[in-house]
Amino acid sequence: MRLRREVARRVFAKEFNDSKFKIGGEAEREPTYVLTPLGLKCNRVFIVGALLEKEETKNEDVLRIRVADPTGSFLGFVGKFDPDAKEALAEIDVPSTVAITAKAKLLQRDERAIPFIRPESIVLSDFETRDYWILETAKATLKRIELMNSDNELAKLAKEKYNTNPEEYREMVIMALQKLREETEITEESEDFDLDSSIEEEIMGLDDIY
Amino acid sequence: MDKISKIVDEIYELFKEHGVKRSDIEKRLKLLIFEFKVPEEEARRTVINGLRREFDISRESLRYPLTKISELEPGKWVSVKAKVLQLWNATNASIAQWGIIGDETGTARFVIWAKSGKGKVEENKCYLFEKVVVDEFAGVKSVKVTSISEVKEIDEEIEVSEGGEIEAVGALVSISSNSGLVQVCKNCGRITKAGICKEHGKVETTEVLRLRGVLDDGEKTYDVEFSETTIKSLTDLDLATAKKLAFEHLDRGIVLSELKRKLLGRYLRISGEVRLSTINVKNAEFLRAKVSKEVEKLLAEVKA
Repeated sequence: MRLRREVARRVFAKEFNDSKFKIGGEAEREPTYVLTPLGLKCNRVFIVGALLEKEETKNEDVLRIRVADPTGSFLGFVGKFDPDAKEALAEIDVPSTVAITAKAKLLQRDERAIPFIRPESIVLSDFETRDYWILETAKATLKRIELMNSDNELAKLAKEKYNTNPEEYREMVIMALQKLREETEITEESEDFDLDSSIEEEIMGLDDIY
Repeated sequence: MDKISKIVDEIYELFKEHGVKRSDIEKRLKLLIFEFKVPEEEARRTVINGLRREFDISRESLRYPLTKISELEPGKWVSVKAKVLQLWNATNASIAQWGIIGDETGTARFVIWAKSGKGKVEENKCYLFEKVVVDEFAGVKSVKVTSISEVKEIDEEIEVSEGGEIEAVGALVSISSNSGLVQVCKNCGRITKAGICKEHGKVETTEVLRLRGVLDDGEKTYDVEFSETTIKSLTDLDLATAKKLAFEHLDRGIVLSELKRKLLGRYLRISGEVRLSTINVKNAEFLRAKVSKEVEKLLAEVKA
């Protein structure tokens, strides 16, 4: 019996990057999901944003990428096990608007949790598609915010684990929509993301990545 | 009040196939809770038992709710009223019978396990498949008849819909490697490898342009298949130009790359017929949304 294909969720970088916990993956062949502070359980994501970086890592088979939306940026790793994504990436310059379908992953180490994505496919996209993605993701996020006050099980779990303040994310959505209204291009956030190289090595060594 | 409407919903879900009205359930519940001051849990049980007696539904069959084919969910135990549309030759000893069933909402596969000792169903007859479990293989839903299941012929004619038209909007998140300019068996249309069809062996092949992939709206996924016509309406690529392109590059793979470049990650509005869980796309267009209008609307709502 093949497992049902996992839906590619729409989530902004900030919500995704605030994630600290994984769920699932206990029973045999049960997928692992990243649990976000708004109770989204995601195994796969679809993102349209600005590819800001593609850097070689110490492991020559793996490229590290960063893809920004109006709220922050997704960290991603593209390796030889996703040949389609890797091949496509070689042809794409930075910065470019790209559409990415990716597996959602999270590395837990010590006190730190590092959410990242592992792209299955990357293609060049355009501003129109990106704008629609922001709108769609805003709607999906607002739905989750609404659910935070219900007795939805995932919402309850998220509240318990993160003590989420939904207002913080409502502000995020408003900000993202306003940026869209101003028709500004998504510009790089000066977000200081420093990833200790030993952590990067661990990510690369993770079986979980592939 | 909220709690009551939740109980109403729950009971309605159990009995909706039997034609019970939501308002009727609500009336019964309110009578018990407000007039007779019965605790909610007690009221719930009383209404369920009452309806069960009224419609002559066994307690057991409530646990296996009568479900339409379009609403089958993998892992659920259900009962299904359906017509057997097609029987296939059993390919291995563990299967007594298998094939396709359908009702007015769509079609699904079914398997009667040899061990179950059930059935001998016939094509074009209608049956009640009780206590069956649903699973899914390659995106196709399948109903399994096991030893606890019951299969009864029913004297009812079921109008089968081949799935009907469905419309969907979403991003094309995946394009299968079986897409592009591919060689298929002349008999059955399956992809051939070096001129060998899995079903028919060495066969004559024909070249077709097609696309198989997954459309995803963030909440559901749809398996979709585009024919040459729909591919052309989106990309200007047709069989002739695809062949030319492949010839120029001495590589059929170039056609798949082109399809990916033009369609992967794009938002599409499609419509088509559902057959065995795949949408055969008849009409497709790139989504043109009025984003700025919607943004204004959404902002006004959020801030309110």
